[in-house]
Amino acid sequence: MEAAAHAVHDEHHGPPAANVSSRVEAQFLGMLLFIISEIMLFGAFFTAYFFIRVVGEADWPARGEELPVAIAGVNTAILLSSSFTMHWALEGARNENRRALTMGLLTTALLGLTFLTIQVNEYVHLGFSPQDNAQGTIFYGLTGLHGAHVFIGLSLLTFATVRAFRGHFTAKEHRGVEVPGIYWHFVDVMWIFVYSTLYLL
Amino acid sequence: MLNPLRSEQEAFRFLIYVAIAVAVIVGVVLLLRAVL
Repeated sequence: MEAAAHAVHDEHHGPPAANVSSRVEAQFLGMLLFIISEIMLFGAFFTAYFFIRVVGEADWPARGEELPVAIAGVNTAILLSSSFTMHWALEGARNENRRALTMGLLTTALLGLTFLTIQVNEYVHLGFSPQDNAQGTIFYGLTGLHGAHVFIGLSLLTFATVRAFRGHFTAKEHRGVEVPGIYWHFVDVMWIFVYSTLYLL
Repeated sequence: MLNPLRSEQEAFRFLIYVAIAVAVIVGVVLLLRAVL
């Protein structure tokens, strides 16, 4: 009875240490703040886009220019499917299924790389450049900003994949996959908005 | 409440919801454009 009372007294009470949140782990808090700042950055680019199209009443795309809607649609499907493989990898980590984890991460990285390759190929064949007109500037600005995020996501995935092959992750400890996973889904959400506004509407 | 920044599972669910919602909105807008 006395030992139990001591154990209770030994537990930490009061506020957490000054630099530690009691609710959110540091890694998650870092990614959370980063993603919120990214939403604001994309918001600035979308504001420019809507200003050109709605306030400026400019043609979209500019007269004589055409966007490859079908190819970008296939690219969208590729990127969205990479979120499913990312989720598969995370489920693998949670269930101690190392094969699902490694294959899921590897497939996600390859799909992301395919997306970037197709986008670069699209840039090469578009027929207009960022300096041609305001539409070109915002098109390359938004898709390029998103492409840069895919590249960052690919870098994170590469680290996670190498670590997965080395057996670093367990069912309990897999933040190194979970945090890039959240980021990867965020990049996909952003692409849905970019594709639907720039290519479809 | 769904918080896509809390875990990968919630972020994945959020992505699915956004994809469905945007597909519906784009579909409606394109349909209205074609009709009107």
